[in-house]
Amino acid sequence: QGTIHPFRKTHRSFFGKLSQEFRLVTSDRQSWRILVFSMLNVFCTGCLLMWCSSTNSMALTAYTYLTIFDLFSRVFSVIFVCLIAHVCVCVFSTRFKRLEVLAVFASTVLVQLGALFILKESVERFVEQPEVHTGRLLVGTFVALFFNLLTLLSVKNKPFVYVSEAASTSWLQEHVADLSRSLCGIIPGLSSVLLPRMNPFVLINVAGALSLSITYMLIEINNYNAVDTASAVAIGLMIFGTMYPMSVYSGKVLLQTTPSHVIGQLDKLLREVSTLEGVLEVRNEHFWTVGFGSLAGSVHVRIRRDANEQMVLAHVTNRLFTLVSTLTVQIFKDDWIRPSLMAEALPASTLRPSDYGGLSSFVPPPPKPSEDINRLTSTPFKPSSPPPEFSFNTPGRHVHPVVLPNTQPQRPYGMGLSYGASPYTSMLNQDLARPGMGIGIGMNLGMGAGMPSLQ
Amino acid sequence: MDDKYSSNVLSSGQLGMVEVPNARLTRYIVLLLVSKVLKALGIFESYDLLKVVHIVQFIFILKLGCAVILVFFQKPFSSGKAISKRQWIKLLKHSVISCIISLLGFFGLTLCGPLRTLLLFEHSDVVVIALLSVLFTSSGGGPSKTRGAALFIIAVICLLLFDNDDLMAKMAEHPEGHHDSALTHALYTAIAFLGVADHKGGVVLLVVSLCLKIGFHTASRKLSVEIGGAKRLYALDNLVSCIVLLPWVIVVQSSWSALILPFGMIIFSVMILEFYVESICIAKMEAPRCARYGSIFLFLSGLLLANFWTHPLTEQLRTMSKTPQQESTETEHVLSGGVLVSAIFFIMADSILSSPSKKGQKGTLVGYSPEGTPLYNFMGDALQHTSQSLPRFIKDSLKQILEEYDSRQIFYFLCLNLAFTFVELFYGVWTNSLGLISDGFHMLFDCSALVLGLFAALMTRWKATRIYSYGYGRVEILSGFINGLFLMVIAFFVFVESVTRLVDPPNINTDMLTPVSVGGLLVNLVGICAFSHAHSHGAAKSNCSSHDHGHSHGHGSHGHSHGSSHGHSHGGGMNANMRGVFLHVLADTLGSVGVIISTILIRQFGWLIADPICSLFISTLIFLSVIPLLTDAAEVLLLRTPPEHEKDLNIALEKIEKVEGVLSYRDPHFWRHSASVIAGTIHLQLMSDVVEQRIIQQVTAILKDAGVNNLSVQVEKEAYFQHMSGLTTGFHDVLAMTQQMESMNYLKDGTCIM
Repeated sequence: QGTIHPFRKTHRSFFGKLSQEFRLVTSDRQSWRILVFSMLNVFCTGCLLMWCSSTNSMALTAYTYLTIFDLFSRVFSVIFVCLIAHVCVCVFSTRFKRLEVLAVFASTVLVQLGALFILKESVERFVEQPEVHTGRLLVGTFVALFFNLLTLLSVKNKPFVYVSEAASTSWLQEHVADLSRSLCGIIPGLSSVLLPRMNPFVLINVAGALSLSITYMLIEINNYNAVDTASAVAIGLMIFGTMYPMSVYSGKVLLQTTPSHVIGQLDKLLREVSTLEGVLEVRNEHFWTVGFGSLAGSVHVRIRRDANEQMVLAHVTNRLFTLVSTLTVQIFKDDWIRPSLMAEALPASTLRPSDYGGLSSFVPPPPKPSEDINRLTSTPFKPSSPPPEFSFNTPGRHVHPVVLPNTQPQRPYGMGLSYGASPYTSMLNQDLARPGMGIGIGMNLGMGAGMPSLQ
Repeated sequence: MDDKYSSNVLSSGQLGMVEVPNARLTRYIVLLLVSKVLKALGIFESYDLLKVVHIVQFIFILKLGCAVILVFFQKPFSSGKAISKRQWIKLLKHSVISCIISLLGFFGLTLCGPLRTLLLFEHSDVVVIALLSVLFTSSGGGPSKTRGAALFIIAVICLLLFDNDDLMAKMAEHPEGHHDSALTHALYTAIAFLGVADHKGGVVLLVVSLCLKIGFHTASRKLSVEIGGAKRLYALDNLVSCIVLLPWVIVVQSSWSALILPFGMIIFSVMILEFYVESICIAKMEAPRCARYGSIFLFLSGLLLANFWTHPLTEQLRTMSKTPQQESTETEHVLSGGVLVSAIFFIMADSILSSPSKKGQKGTLVGYSPEGTPLYNFMGDALQHTSQSLPRFIKDSLKQILEEYDSRQIFYFLCLNLAFTFVELFYGVWTNSLGLISDGFHMLFDCSALVLGLFAALMTRWKATRIYSYGYGRVEILSGFINGLFLMVIAFFVFVESVTRLVDPPNINTDMLTPVSVGGLLVNLVGICAFSHAHSHGAAKSNCSSHDHGHSHGHGSHGHSHGSSHGHSHGGGMNANMRGVFLHVLADTLGSVGVIISTILIRQFGWLIADPICSLFISTLIFLSVIPLLTDAAEVLLLRTPPEHEKDLNIALEKIEKVEGVLSYRDPHFWRHSASVIAGTIHLQLMSDVVEQRIIQQVTAILKDAGVNNLSVQVEKEAYFQHMSGLTTGFHDVLAMTQQMESMNYLKDGTCIM
């Protein structure tokens, strides 16, 4: 029951599913609209294909492929709506996200292969250029442009919007951005219109229509039939240029790669993790995106023999949790068969104040190697961490413990946790000494305020 | 503008180069304008002169006159240091090359007229170097330069394709029959060999000689320093070239004494004035701006002259030329639309390409200085990594390819396929058969799938990097998926084509088809034999459909491989890449078989409809055989639990539950990462008094038996949740944690997918 087979399932009871899904789709208004647009698109594509064969124009065929691509993305979004509607989202949500990525990848690759086909045909046409009839050329162009823009602007396809924003710019976008920047140098008023990043789909539609109109003009005026082939090549190259970054982006997601834009952040977090007390090294770190945007990962952490595993695990998870939502941390200990001192027997209630100093700029008290317990449970930071920005052990900060007004409602923090109050009060002090550290502090404050009143 | 925020450092006004305002340079610009107009005039005139005067003689006279004037002005012998013998030899080489280049240039002038020569040949070094750097290096300097280069190329193509100069068609027939000299004759025959009209040959010749000229200028810079200044070099060069050309001129005797005046004008405007003005302007303005203005002036004046030039010399020349030519071919190069368009493009391209590159180096932002200005790091571009030499690169990659079985197979088959394709293409060109050529292109199109497969097989062995943390094994699956999509596209096109043919079956010429398709069949059979081994090793499990169809279709040559493949398909990892390649070859084979069958049917019975029906059938077959590959690859890409391991994994999970000390597990994710790697993550909840490492070891061993070889186990005890609640301290988090702790006893469904 846990697995779905998106392809096989449609094979099994195809018509029954289809009618059921159709009913489901028509019940929803949004998907109804998508369905109408898909129908329109199918109709338009059929017309265009007929006109393509009647005009014998390669460029129009290339442009039709864009329409087919639109149709693909529409159809995919319809399928998604169906899936959302009647497959339980909570169970398959991750897989569903993944399916979106696959859909984007497949449709961009398909349209690129279509463009490749166009290029091949164009090369053949350069050898022998057939006559091109211009009768329906312009009509077809404008019909296709109109429908494409209509569907693009009225039906928002979430994954495609995301990819087109997240992927690197295509060369078409770059050139348009460059041109519009120099245009804005002349007419500054246009900057709000031209300077933001262009939607690549709109761009390629408009550019293709433009080149088709030029083709029409040249064929009408001078009977240069070779222009048709040239503009087909141009449209094919534009399709390549536009779709390539998107397919690279989604392909990288499919290949389970670490997205390059989070590598800097990840490295920082991993460095922090490796400076935690007890951590010897971090290895086998794998991070990947499950769907668009949600990061998953697994990491192996080797720790000292006498370190508390659960403590380190909690700290590592806490660090990485901000960035990586689905995380698995495996803790390694070398030579664990030799019983370590008393790490396992250590009750949670004896935790020292400094255990929860979760902030990286937090400074440890001077290490006392003579005390056994203190070494085990001391701050998770190594003594070799960077020099302190401030020291919370300075008397001035401890002399006046701030009493918080109990503004927040009493929290049900019962849970049978036998935490001493001291960790949180010390934390409170520290946090108060460093205001403006972000959201986490507010949380800590609330906690600190709650705890003493409980006990 | 958003320059402030981009990573473009040098573009903001204060930091970039300081441009001299135009007002101060007006004098020089006017000077440049005058010299360019005169030069255009000179070129037009020399075109007229070249109709009567032999080209070598013409160049000789130019060089001679130039040398006389320059020796008079520059005094290369009396001033400066003496020139050594080695330098004389260098000078000789230099002048020989310069003679050749000017010969080519003026020959191009005779071929395609003054205006086109101006447009093609008279670009400054800056422009051409920018163009070449865009074309041949990766760091071209931003999109604007790319645009400029594209404009330049479009302009040249415009001249080549859309410039239907009526006169050229006439000249292409070579009405003159005799040529003045062996040299021109050789050039003419070379151009005729290329199979293009004379004027197009001239365009090609001019472009080539432009590149030569630029290379020559760049190379001669060193010599000019050695000799002592560009002007001295120029003077000496002219002198030496005179001497070089002298013997030739003596052989070619003709009178030109009546033409002193036009020659003087040409020498003055083309050779001397332009040289001096250019050098002054480059000194006063910077070179890019000089190039921009110069080319704009030159092209505009060329356009104007082409419109209004009435060939004042022509009458005079005709009277003086000894052989009164019949001159029905009043050969004047007209101003056509194509030339106009390309002139506009050339002007735009030149102004873009010669503009100083605004785009600074791309730097990465490293931080902010104390004053608040951003600091950039230029490491990447500043230290340009040296490019590998090409032969070495080829050798290395060949070695890599041949190392492993899969890639070796693909490579050999690719070579075979390419050889067949090129034979087909050459034969097609030889016999002028369009069908063969088109089939050859189709084969090339197919080869791209093989190249993709080869590349993927090569990439699979790359080392894991920071980004590809599991290694590149997955590329193979992705490439299999893409190949599957490729086949779908092919099947779709064949389907559409055959449907249209079904409606209106065309008459097919079957003579050529049979040998070609038999050849293709043979090649593909070799491929099938080569790949069937790998294929049977891979997961042939889901290939049943293709196998069945293959049998029913009746080529049993590869049936045996399928028959044997069912047994051990579970054992080896699946190699989607090889499967994709195999299916591709299979599809090709089907295509050739279909062609053979339909040819036989058409020949024997005259059923024209057999061809579309055959291709319809084949496309359906391809489609059906691709579906399993696509679904399998998609399942892997979707991180699904591998179906062949599903049962084992369920058993393993049950075992894990029974391990002593384990309370429960959650989030078990297992997926196939690549052919050899099955990765997994699992979270375990333990009782608080067991040793974690022991459990980890046990669980790893259990899952390893189930096939998971890249595992991460997160072991959680109650203490962990307490720590976490202490750390995260958000109320909702705590609540969620508690719920998780309570639900630890739940048995979860084991085969959840990530």
